[in-house]
Amino acid sequence: MLEISNVSVKFGGVVALDDVSANFDKPVSGIIGPNGAGKTTLMNVISGFVRPISGSVTRDGQDLLRLSPHHRAHWGLRRSFQTEEIADDLTVFENVLVQIDHSQTAARAKWDEVEKMLDLVGMAARADKIGAELTGFERRLTDVAKCLVGKPRVVMFDEPAGGMSTEESRLLGALIRRINGITSAQVLIIDHDVELIREVCIETLVLDFGRRIAFGPTADVLEDPKVKAAYIGTEEI
Amino acid sequence: MKSLIHVTPSGWTGLILAAIGILVLPSLLGHFWLSVFTSAACFTLAIAGVAFMYARLGLVSLTQVGLMGVGGWIALRLNHALDLPFELNAAIAAGCAMLLSWLLALPALRMRGLYLALVTLMAAGGLEIIFGTFKFPNGGDGFWGVAPGSGELMRRPWIAESPEAYLRYVIACALLGFLFIEIHRRLQPGRAWAMIRRSEAAAMAAGANVTLYKTWAFGIAGLLAGAAGALLAGSLGVLDGGTFRASESIMIFALAIVGGAQCWQGAVIAAILYKVLPALLNLWGVDADLSYAIFGAGLLHAVITAPQGVAGQLVAATQRLYAARKGESARA
Repeated sequence: MLEISNVSVKFGGVVALDDVSANFDKPVSGIIGPNGAGKTTLMNVISGFVRPISGSVTRDGQDLLRLSPHHRAHWGLRRSFQTEEIADDLTVFENVLVQIDHSQTAARAKWDEVEKMLDLVGMAARADKIGAELTGFERRLTDVAKCLVGKPRVVMFDEPAGGMSTEESRLLGALIRRINGITSAQVLIIDHDVELIREVCIETLVLDFGRRIAFGPTADVLEDPKVKAAYIGTEEI
Repeated sequence: MKSLIHVTPSGWTGLILAAIGILVLPSLLGHFWLSVFTSAACFTLAIAGVAFMYARLGLVSLTQVGLMGVGGWIALRLNHALDLPFELNAAIAAGCAMLLSWLLALPALRMRGLYLALVTLMAAGGLEIIFGTFKFPNGGDGFWGVAPGSGELMRRPWIAESPEAYLRYVIACALLGFLFIEIHRRLQPGRAWAMIRRSEAAAMAAGANVTLYKTWAFGIAGLLAGAAGALLAGSLGVLDGGTFRASESIMIFALAIVGGAQCWQGAVIAAILYKVLPALLNLWGVDADLSYAIFGAGLLHAVITAPQGVAGQLVAATQRLYAARKGESARA
């Protein structure tokens, strides 16, 4: 279970996260909220790029806040960014391999694992292409393959479907749903695409102005009046 | 995945060029040009280091010529103090320059872009003052080893005592330097550097220790600079502080951009511009300072129209020519 307890973040005078708590225990969970709600900040806290002023983030007894970002990756935390972070001058294969370069396993085993995951995401035929030659969707698939290698424990996607067509978004959703079955990793998704969240996530946390306004089964959360109000506003009386 | 050991077309070009440089070039040159080309080969190694850091990590180091001076100073000091082989002197000099570049890198890596460039430039300025004050060893007594007058010359490797053989030796060392960079590029550090250049956050998320890999890159650049300094000491026999001014570090960085930092050819072009062009201008009776105007024009050209430098343009033109010929032969 990924336990986020009383996490607060301030940027100067701005409270980006205000005492946010949530225990994610489902295979695939979502975080939604309007722009500026603090979704990416929460992901940055979990992955180590933002240090909270208070609170804790633990998984299976491991206090993640005590680890540096690259040690969190070694521990098994994976994340993708809003823009696909694929090195243009590395091949697809190398872009994935870099994620497990730190591992002490034999080189042959690493290569086999990379090949397996590229096959799984449908990029095996493009393994020798350099990043600069890929389409946006191919870059995203490569990013997903990066998240799958090296026995991940928690995989986080920050708006993975941003800029994609409906069909690409559907394919990506199907792929994300399979991650837990393939790797046993817990998946956390941030996205504005409520349909993707509804389709993929079992439970969802909703943030607004840095505060938790709802958390629970996705279907229930999306029907919550407070959530609807946060997304489409309330009528002034 | 391609095997680690494979030679690209660019690699073949480099190997052929090095073979020509080793087998043919020295026998075509007189004493003056042997000296010029040997200096150019030494600076090729140093420029390769600074270009590599810029191309792989986007880091601007303006201490490279200062680190060459450190390598040269240590090689000369060891040469006059101990009876070690040239190779061992050069290896120790390169290692010490690498250690110094690590020391410089650790505080400097907290900064980026212009600030990092300024810090490394200040370090180069400090080294310039030290070289100017204490001079380079020439067989004198004491720690600094400076004797009045011309002093003794540095011994060359026993296999390369003549100017012709020494040019061959330096070209072979430069080739080894390029191979050293290429091996790194193809292995774990190269992949981590590519990710860091893309985004430090993404590199950390991929498990790369950004500080370690940046320091590693600084170390390689320092190692190459130190080796280049030792080789230059072997070429000239004695060194002078005027060779290692901070402004020269700026110059070789600018020329690395003009030549093209992304590929090995860029370092060769930059070194030729830096050492061979002024000598040619002198030969033609033209003031060698004209080369600065040419460098400036080249830099403007690179910044405005050729971000990959002259080498990038040459490589692209070759690829276009190859593609056109392939198309013609397919039609035939």
